[in-house]
Amino acid sequence: MGQPVKMETFVQSVVSGILTGSLYAMIGVGLTIIFGVMRIINMAHGDMVMLGMYGSFWAYTILKIDPFLSIIIWFPAAFILGFLIYRFLLKKIVPAGELNTLLYTAGLSLFVANLALFIWTGDYRTIKLDYAVIPLRPFGIAVPIPLAIAFGMAIMITVALYWFLVRTPTGRAIRATSQEPEAAALMGVDVDRMAVITFALGTALACGAGVLLAPSLYLYPTVGEILVAKCFVIVVLGGLGSVPGAIAGGVLLGLVESLGAVYVSVPYKDAIGFVIFLLVLLFRPSGLFGVGKS
Amino acid sequence: MRKITLAALIILLLAAPWIIAKPFFVHLMIMVLMWTVLGASWNLLGGFTGQVSFGHATFLGAGAYTMMILYLKLGIDPWYGIIIGGLVAALIALPIGYICFRLRGPYFALSTLAVAEIIRLIALNWESLTAGPVGLLITNLPKVSFLGKAINWESKTPFFYIAAIIALGALFATAVISRSRLGAYLLAVREDIDSAEAIGINTVQVQVAALSLSAFFAGLAGGFYAMYLRYIEPDAVFSIALSVEMVFIAVVGGLTTVAGPLIGAIFLVTLGETFREHFQVGHLIFYGFFMMVAIRYMPEGIWGKVRIWIKKPVTAGNPS
Repeated sequence: MGQPVKMETFVQSVVSGILTGSLYAMIGVGLTIIFGVMRIINMAHGDMVMLGMYGSFWAYTILKIDPFLSIIIWFPAAFILGFLIYRFLLKKIVPAGELNTLLYTAGLSLFVANLALFIWTGDYRTIKLDYAVIPLRPFGIAVPIPLAIAFGMAIMITVALYWFLVRTPTGRAIRATSQEPEAAALMGVDVDRMAVITFALGTALACGAGVLLAPSLYLYPTVGEILVAKCFVIVVLGGLGSVPGAIAGGVLLGLVESLGAVYVSVPYKDAIGFVIFLLVLLFRPSGLFGVGKS
Repeated sequence: MRKITLAALIILLLAAPWIIAKPFFVHLMIMVLMWTVLGASWNLLGGFTGQVSFGHATFLGAGAYTMMILYLKLGIDPWYGIIIGGLVAALIALPIGYICFRLRGPYFALSTLAVAEIIRLIALNWESLTAGPVGLLITNLPKVSFLGKAINWESKTPFFYIAAIIALGALFATAVISRSRLGAYLLAVREDIDSAEAIGINTVQVQVAALSLSAFFAGLAGGFYAMYLRYIEPDAVFSIALSVEMVFIAVVGGLTTVAGPLIGAIFLVTLGETFREHFQVGHLIFYGFFMMVAIRYMPEGIWGKVRIWIKKPVTAGNPS
């Protein structure tokens, strides 16, 4: 616990927790819809974020495109990548059961991360934006500009996705498949098509979050390893398969990390998330809000 | 006949560093043997109970740090340190097992991942014990004489024999367990955990026993690894990548078989280390690639496939 901390510090860490949390939420939503529809625990999800980060980096350094604008290229590109991965790699594995897909995607993850390591080397890279040197200071709270922009875009994308899932026929079909695949199939839903769309969409969300995160983080090929572990924390907190749960879980993890760094200890801030994760898995396997599937 | 073949193979193995004395080759064999131990360790749990652990680096790291700390702080010889390291890893496995085995399937896998990360963070931050990210370094190993001759620790050959002994021990243990009552219980748990429970098997207890035994061998390998490299730091022995490598060696080689981890290690470690000699980074590309190939086309692994080809009688309870 330590010495009393000022109110400003508290507000500051809440703000930065929510900002990072919004991006965690975006990654988590991608993972959770994939699990909901196909029962795939996608170990390669973090590597898709990594690819998005590199996409953002190369768009900025080679094509001189603003990293945030480059999401217009990378979101559809990642959608196609997700489509191809599902169609040519995962489709045959899914019927073999959850453990086989878990091992398979772990293989995919190691393959993608090491290919990236081989091509791009393990060097740490950063994107330095001219307009992002000095943070905004509303009410004396420092808000880094790249994170603020990423936050705004992540909210827009998440709201758009939510609208898609709730309002459109395809979205409704996806949710139906997620709740009860057999019943959905009997009602005339093309379950197979929903699976492809969901996987592609989940991959695009992960990649998109990577594009948005790139100007705020260091880039290196194995960054996905840590991100995927955090993703699982988020998704299990909110209840596996639940979209609102993943959003809440993402923001919650962001807050836990930033408040934990202030009030518990900086070195152990990452461990707090994992401890909560274990407790939830053991005592509330359907998530904190009781909406997920176990 | 089989006993003669086995004896011949063991003699060939022990003579190998004299047949080809190139340092890279000896190093390669040491790495193959160490990964055989780790693959066999993972197989004892993953192969026999079907529970996928993504956190076995915990036990590797526990063994490595135990050996290092005992040697540097208390002056206990590394070989005792290696054995104590195995025992410490087996002890750590008990609480982890009792917590994580309340979960099944993918949830168990995720919980082991979380436990491993928590332990890595503890090792990284408990600086008074582990020196944190700086790591621990052995500058010189103790003088020992064997059959009247001082062992030369600058040569790789003594390490080869230590690794060979541990690897043979791990494979022998797998063979014994696969024929034992415990082995039968474990396979029952793997095939149908509810039925196993129903016929009176204490499923948590037998799984914890398997995990603890598995952790013992991973701990031995960890202690050996630290002694061989003479330097460890938390990210080098507790990383998720190490846990995943163990899984891949066991699966690609062939789960639930005795020789599978050896075959998997020969295949993947040779590819990986040769690649590393030439390109430095990215040597795990093959691990990922062959893992996908194995799950897709031969989930029984290389050795499992070979056994089907040579048409030995294959039953789940009698692997050879």
